[in-house]
Amino acid sequence: MSKKKQRVTVELTRRDFLVLGGTAVGSIVAAQVLTTGVLSPFGGLKQRQVTGEAAPEKASSQYHWGMVINLEKCIGCEYCQRSCSATNDVMDDKPWNLVVEDKTENGQTFFFSRPCLHCQDAPCVEVCPVQATYHREDGLVMMDYDRCIGCRYCEVACPYDARKFNWAERYDVNPYIPTWGIAEVPRRPRGVVEKCTFCVHRIDAGLAAGLMPGIDRDATPACVNACPVGARVFGNLKDENSKVAQAIANNPTIRVREELGTEPSVYYIPPAKKEA
Amino acid sequence: MATVALPTKKPSLITPGFLGWLAFLALCILIGLVSAYEVLTKGLSVTNMSNTVPWGLWITIDLSAIALGAGAFTLSAIVYLLRLKRFTPIVRLAVYVGFVGYTTALLTLVMDIGRPDRFWHPWAYWNVHSVLWEITWCITLYLIILAAEFLPVIADLPFFARWSWFGKLAHGIHKFAPVLAVIGMGISLLHQSSLGATYGILRSRPIWFKPSMPIMFILSAVAVGPALTMAIAHITEWATKRPTVPHDVLRAVARFSGFGLLAYLYIKIWDLMAVTYYGRSPQVNQGFAMLNDQTPYGFGFWVVEIIIGIVIPAVFFLSSRFNRRPVYLVVGALCAMIGIIANRWNVTVSGLTVPLSYSPGVLYQSAAGSYSPSLAEWGVAIGVIGYALLMLTIGLRFLPLFNNSAHDEASKS
Repeated sequence: MSKKKQRVTVELTRRDFLVLGGTAVGSIVAAQVLTTGVLSPFGGLKQRQVTGEAAPEKASSQYHWGMVINLEKCIGCEYCQRSCSATNDVMDDKPWNLVVEDKTENGQTFFFSRPCLHCQDAPCVEVCPVQATYHREDGLVMMDYDRCIGCRYCEVACPYDARKFNWAERYDVNPYIPTWGIAEVPRRPRGVVEKCTFCVHRIDAGLAAGLMPGIDRDATPACVNACPVGARVFGNLKDENSKVAQAIANNPTIRVREELGTEPSVYYIPPAKKEA
Repeated sequence: MATVALPTKKPSLITPGFLGWLAFLALCILIGLVSAYEVLTKGLSVTNMSNTVPWGLWITIDLSAIALGAGAFTLSAIVYLLRLKRFTPIVRLAVYVGFVGYTTALLTLVMDIGRPDRFWHPWAYWNVHSVLWEITWCITLYLIILAAEFLPVIADLPFFARWSWFGKLAHGIHKFAPVLAVIGMGISLLHQSSLGATYGILRSRPIWFKPSMPIMFILSAVAVGPALTMAIAHITEWATKRPTVPHDVLRAVARFSGFGLLAYLYIKIWDLMAVTYYGRSPQVNQGFAMLNDQTPYGFGFWVVEIIIGIVIPAVFFLSSRFNRRPVYLVVGALCAMIGIIANRWNVTVSGLTVPLSYSPGVLYQSAAGSYSPSLAEWGVAIGVIGYALLMLTIGLRFLPLFNNSAHDEASKS
């Protein structure tokens, strides 16, 4: 062991200085871009959590089609399901429109029905590997049957069981035609996934003809027209005078599995509590 | 035919045993072709999959084949990145096994999608948010990398000696092996874990929705992939009675797998405790109660996945009492393989068995899924397994997978 004091020096060349300085500046810039910049995957999320404001509206056009289903009024007649199955020529064993009997917490019977909820943050749209299912500007979740590869990931991902796969080419006779309506869209080919479209063919044709969906019957989804008790209301959520906006404003409403953050476009008026 | 004149004794290509094995494989593939024809003409309605259980046996095979092919990237990384040159003699075999695993998965996937004619859509129509899109791209790119890594082996065949440019090109590419290993490792880590994320990101399914899913998938793949490669080397040695890979290397691979399995076990127990038990929600509780009640989920998890799939192989791989004898190493690798297949099956089917509940009422929930594969599904499964075994047989028979010169170098250093 030498007693000589050893001087410890740090040699810093200009090159080292530039490298270290560059790294520091680069890290700061990267951190800034990733946390608040446009590249940040959490930017939107953070904003929403901090301010508590509603999710950004996906529907960018002047329309956002939505539905209100009044569970207090629904009598479980299944007319919505039948007219839907006729109009959209849906296979019998898994209808696009589901109607089931259910009970509230205090044992009171009611009828629950479910079209596609057209979520604004839809899990199916997120998982589709080919963008065969996508958001339209008016809030509708659409299916492109010509692009779908039939991987069924959307079916697995949907929290509401709203999707259906065509396991075979269809040769069945639709029992609902012509009693409940006639087929307005072609049958879907084998090997693709399908779901409720809010009768998009009626909406588009109706708007082109100057009709207003939700008011004029020819532009309104078949299930809404068929409901004998007016339990289903359809219209533009962005127009505060529309029937749906009024129904939401004047009633307590819920959306199903809201905790998932899917932002469905379908609102439910829960059954009124009755004393048993 | 002036190739390098080595005084090798020509192995007899056709023995009765080999012929029998080929006949067996041909039968498997024939069954597969008949079933595939059935599926392609009649559609997926000939399977027992349904709208409640849209994924089944074939997805299990995809996931398992990709996980079992993970030996390729693991051992490539060990040799080319960590520079542990003693493992060089097994890399070619590992890359080949990986290649077979990935092509098997793609083959099954094409059968599984409703529109096989549109298999190319993920390449053309991008949804960058989709895990499945990312997996498709990763697998495509990784197959290209595996092919590039494997090109020198093909070029070494005497057949290609007549085109010298091909050999030069292949060995030129081989110079980039470390670069390919880095890219390959990145892509593999990405998609092996994304296969777990496929389930883990689904907020709609309570018992799948957890961040531990990708970690468990990747750890199990890294642990079991190399073990399978090791077992194939041993089995080939038994079948051909010629040395393949030095036994000390194979034992080292087995020990690596053993430690990998222990890490996997730790994460699995952590997942069970932290994520599933203490992090439980009412839906998760209900889901597991239902699974334990109505399906052999508990047996599958504890006996097949944990004991057969992890504990037994870990003991065989790590205890020097067992790991000196190849028969234990092979049995251990097969156990680990059974464990990983059971795990992928359990994850897929049990997640789909638990019904969804979305009505505001307390009574209604969607139908509980029940599923057992149909004859056509088993047929296709037998076919693709036959394909994988045939590819392995052809490769082991005709390709210079066991590079003896590299072995000599390694033993010298």
